[in-house]
Amino acid sequence: MSIVPKETIEVIAQSIGITNLSPDVLPALAADVEYRIREIMQEAIKCMRHSRRTTLTTDDVDSALGLRNVEPIYGFASGDPLRFKRAAGHKDLFYIEEKDVEFKEVIEAPLPKAPLDTAVVTHWLAIEGVQPAIPENPPPEALQMLSLPSDNRKTEVKEDGVPVDIKLPIKHVLSRELQLYFEKITELTVSRSESGLFKAALSSLATDSGIHPLVPYFTFFVADEVSRNLNNYSLLYALMRLVWSLLQNPHIHIEPYLHQLMPSVMTCLVAKRLGNKLSDNHWYLRNFTANLVASICKRFGHVYHNLQPRVTKTLLHAFLDPSKALPQHYGAIQGLASLGPNVVRMLVLPNLEPYLQLLEPEMQLETQKNEMKRHEAWIVYGALMRAVGMCMYDRLKMLPSLPSPPPRAVWKSNAKVVTTVSNKRKASMDNMTNQPPLKKLATDSSMGGTTPPNIGAVDPNLQSSTNNNMPGSSGRKEILGGQRLLKTPAALDQAWKDDVDPRRVLPLLRKCFGDSMLPFFPTPEASLFL
Amino acid sequence: MDQEEIDKVVLAYLDKRGFKQAGFAFQQEKQQNSKGSNTSSTAQIDPDIAKQILAFSEVDSPAQYQEGYGKLRSWAYSSLDQYQHELVRVLYPVFVHGFMDLVAKGHIQEARSFFNSFRGDHDVIHSRDLQKLEGVLSPSHLEEMEFAHSLRQSKVNIKICKYSYDLLMQYLHKSQSITIIGVINEHINFNVSPGQPSSIADDAEFVSLFGSGQDAANLINQKEIHWGLLEDSLEEKLEKTSNMDSEKGDGELREGDLEENKKRSVDGNKQGNSLKKLKKDKVSNATAKASRADNVTVSGAPRVKPELPLPVIPIEVEHSILEDLRNRVQLNSTALPSISFYTFINTHNGLNCASISNDGSLLAGGFSDSSLKVWDMAKLGQQSQNSLQGESELTPNQNMSSSNVGGKSYTLFRGHAGPVHSATFSPFGDFLLSSSSDSTIRLWSTKLNTNLVCYKGHNYPVWDVQFSPMGHYFASASHDRTARIWSVDRIQPLRIMAGHLSDVDCVQWHANCNYVATGSSDKTVRLWDVQSGECVRIFIGHRSMILSLAMSPDGRYMASGDEDGTIMMWDLATGRCISPLVGHSSCIWSLSFSCEGSLLASGSADCTVKIWDVATSSKVSKAEENKSGSVNRLRSLKTLPTKSTPVYALKFSPRNLLFAAGALSKQP
Repeated sequence: MSIVPKETIEVIAQSIGITNLSPDVLPALAADVEYRIREIMQEAIKCMRHSRRTTLTTDDVDSALGLRNVEPIYGFASGDPLRFKRAAGHKDLFYIEEKDVEFKEVIEAPLPKAPLDTAVVTHWLAIEGVQPAIPENPPPEALQMLSLPSDNRKTEVKEDGVPVDIKLPIKHVLSRELQLYFEKITELTVSRSESGLFKAALSSLATDSGIHPLVPYFTFFVADEVSRNLNNYSLLYALMRLVWSLLQNPHIHIEPYLHQLMPSVMTCLVAKRLGNKLSDNHWYLRNFTANLVASICKRFGHVYHNLQPRVTKTLLHAFLDPSKALPQHYGAIQGLASLGPNVVRMLVLPNLEPYLQLLEPEMQLETQKNEMKRHEAWIVYGALMRAVGMCMYDRLKMLPSLPSPPPRAVWKSNAKVVTTVSNKRKASMDNMTNQPPLKKLATDSSMGGTTPPNIGAVDPNLQSSTNNNMPGSSGRKEILGGQRLLKTPAALDQAWKDDVDPRRVLPLLRKCFGDSMLPFFPTPEASLFL
Repeated sequence: MDQEEIDKVVLAYLDKRGFKQAGFAFQQEKQQNSKGSNTSSTAQIDPDIAKQILAFSEVDSPAQYQEGYGKLRSWAYSSLDQYQHELVRVLYPVFVHGFMDLVAKGHIQEARSFFNSFRGDHDVIHSRDLQKLEGVLSPSHLEEMEFAHSLRQSKVNIKICKYSYDLLMQYLHKSQSITIIGVINEHINFNVSPGQPSSIADDAEFVSLFGSGQDAANLINQKEIHWGLLEDSLEEKLEKTSNMDSEKGDGELREGDLEENKKRSVDGNKQGNSLKKLKKDKVSNATAKASRADNVTVSGAPRVKPELPLPVIPIEVEHSILEDLRNRVQLNSTALPSISFYTFINTHNGLNCASISNDGSLLAGGFSDSSLKVWDMAKLGQQSQNSLQGESELTPNQNMSSSNVGGKSYTLFRGHAGPVHSATFSPFGDFLLSSSSDSTIRLWSTKLNTNLVCYKGHNYPVWDVQFSPMGHYFASASHDRTARIWSVDRIQPLRIMAGHLSDVDCVQWHANCNYVATGSSDKTVRLWDVQSGECVRIFIGHRSMILSLAMSPDGRYMASGDEDGTIMMWDLATGRCISPLVGHSSCIWSLSFSCEGSLLASGSADCTVKIWDVATSSKVSKAEENKSGSVNRLRSLKTLPTKSTPVYALKFSPRNLLFAAGALSKQP
């Protein structure tokens, strides 16, 4: 008799006040206890089966006790499964936690919601043996998995020489419900993408398990509409949101249609013109699409290894082609940036200097008289700066934590400095872009008003000289950060491994963007700020 | 402790064994002791030993065998289901050897009565052995008879698991019936194996140890059964009329078809799908007729007379049945059925059973809160249709009139005082029977929405109840290990079928109403003759409790599903398993044959409906049996998963639309 040890009986006997139980009684009692428990469980399992369940509940045990004319155990009737907790310090001792309940709370608590009444819903599980793809039925992937073993069986039967019924390929038939659904969605997308209904439609697209048969139709719809309506901004935006929702849907299998979908998406990212009105915020659309592209690459990158290379190649072409319009450059930069800092580091940084040389004349009042163009150039400049900055930030934050964060007050003043600088830069652009970094630095520091102008930091020795000239108390904390970086070259080397020497990159960035790059350099506060 | 008595016993023993000297010495000592008054050593005899001595003295009394065996038997039959069959195995050797011991000792009369009072237990499996042993009438016979001699010489090997063995030893120890212990020690050799008890199917091996073949084991299965269909059934009538129709010519038929089409369009959307098919059928009317005629002849089973007085079917009902028969969709391995699924939602784990009426229009659910709820699906369908129309065509009047009162879509039947475990509709859907834990069965009228009769007969929960295919009679299965046959107009059962060694879990009528099949927790299925109440078949092969049964419409086959997910297809005539259907991974709650018997649908707790091919495989298996006798596997045609809804009930409508029902369970 194994399950109930003698000791248990002894403990139970003691717990009810019987201390002088003779040792001969124990094994006999233990055996009987085990038999009774088995008996009760046997009856409880029968009750469970006849209640069409596969999990045993306390009710089953109670009715089993009832069958044996034993009083049920009170206090455990509940719909929830009992939660056993392991007693601390014991390997196989469990107990049920019982919480103290305040009477007052129970009495004062509002009545709980009445449970929903039982109801019956009907659907077609199969129509002439074929399971329709409706939300009530499980998604088609589950079906495919189930159908695999049956194929094996078929071959097995074939070996036995039993004739196998050969089924003709079934035409792709869309149910009437699906057709209606498709029509509704496309109509909403084309004509009423601003309405709340379209939002509901998008969420339905993102969650519905039965729409898999519609995926090819949606793909075609998107491709078709994008190619025909490049000047219709709101439609394009609605289409991209539709694609986004489709990608969110966990039940559909969109991989086979990606190759049809990607061109349309890329179009919305790097097309020359998106929308026809000035009020159309095509920058926003490009941002949205850039995120979309990034999410696609992230999700399917491991399945299609050439997906991301192809996307980046396209974007890089758009970025480096000087004949392309600035919005196209913007899209390309946003796309590359959304693919992650590594992509930026590998592809954007090496081309940064020549590109900025190209961009510079566009940004200046003298060389570019067209207000529109200049505005665009500035936006591209901002995007570029953000991309490179994020890349820098990502790199630097991987370094070991920097010693001694500067006082908060200083940082605040610095932030002010930076913003004012950028404002000012916008106001007087020629001043900024033409002047050497040295000069900029001088103006900045004068604005900070804490340190004297620092002329010595012109050449590549910039860092070392600043180090000498600027004590820790100065407001130029970011530079200090940079210096600290240089003080830990080992860490830097590890971070930049195959890359350009940071000693060159940092000055380069400073040269290109000036101090607006500085907020991207990580400090404990900066991570909050960014 | 009575000193005198013990002394007497000891003396008698010595006398009997022929130890005369010892006996003499004992007597002398006794006399000395009695002289020496109180200083005797025997006064200090241990009471336990005294008891043993006394008990030993009773060995000779023949009544000990009867009593000891009787106790062992009732103990074995009331032990745990899981181990019961192993313990019951011990009974037969004990019985045989007890009998032979009695004979050997010359108590012929007692041996007779012992044999006769318990032979019933073993007649089923060992009747041939018993017939041989019956003739043993004197000790000399035992020597002469080869069979008995070999039994006496050899020990019986019984395979038994550790726990059963412990239980047995515990019992023997407690009961202290020396006789039985002696028999067991002398003649039985236990092979104690660790772990779980062996399957009941291994009983066959055990039987063969006694030298009698499989035939003896299946002797009971050689009783004749008439599995044919009833005479004068509607199918036959249809066959006749259709033949007449085809002779009459096409013109009339077309008219009829038109009418039928009209009617069917009235029938509503439920049958809509099969309708399409039907129309297709109509297009090729002649061929359809021919194939139908073929089908009838294929299933042209032998006809038998009903042994029960059956109710008369009203004319209108007969017409509707004939109509259904004409419009039946032909199903086979290439033409699979459409399945309409009724999902119960918000059941809060309380749904115990579901039942669908023959035409699929009514759905009943039995709940653990003792309630029984009936949904009229036809009305439900209309409502939704109406509301749809209301949206598009603006017909507010209809909408208002059809809206249900109090927001409830079902009819609630209250009356039971325990969880409802089973429900069944009468063939025409006007009555509903439900069985419950409160050990009663109740008859409800779906027309009047009220309880009509409460049948009290079982003493324990009634697990299952089934209306006969013709109505009026019904069968119930209960925890009290019996199945009972009732008629609706009497409150006492007509027949009580006792014989299962554990709960009877499910019950099913044969198509001709003359037989009833029961499945039990003892892992066997039995077939009973309704008229005589006798068991006519035992089907051994399942490895866990039987949960569902289905009879093929041609009366030839039976399918049974168990707790492990195995389905077995049985040939009723031979009592053999045609083939096990393996595929489900959990309990089979429901089985249903299509109306012409070509497909079998199974619904399981693993949330799938599987469709199995019966027609081709049974044909093939027959052919193969003739040739090689190899077992062929039935083909699984289709697996249809539901969305986390275990399938509780399945029913093919007369037009071969499959209805399924289940309760949506929360995803884990």
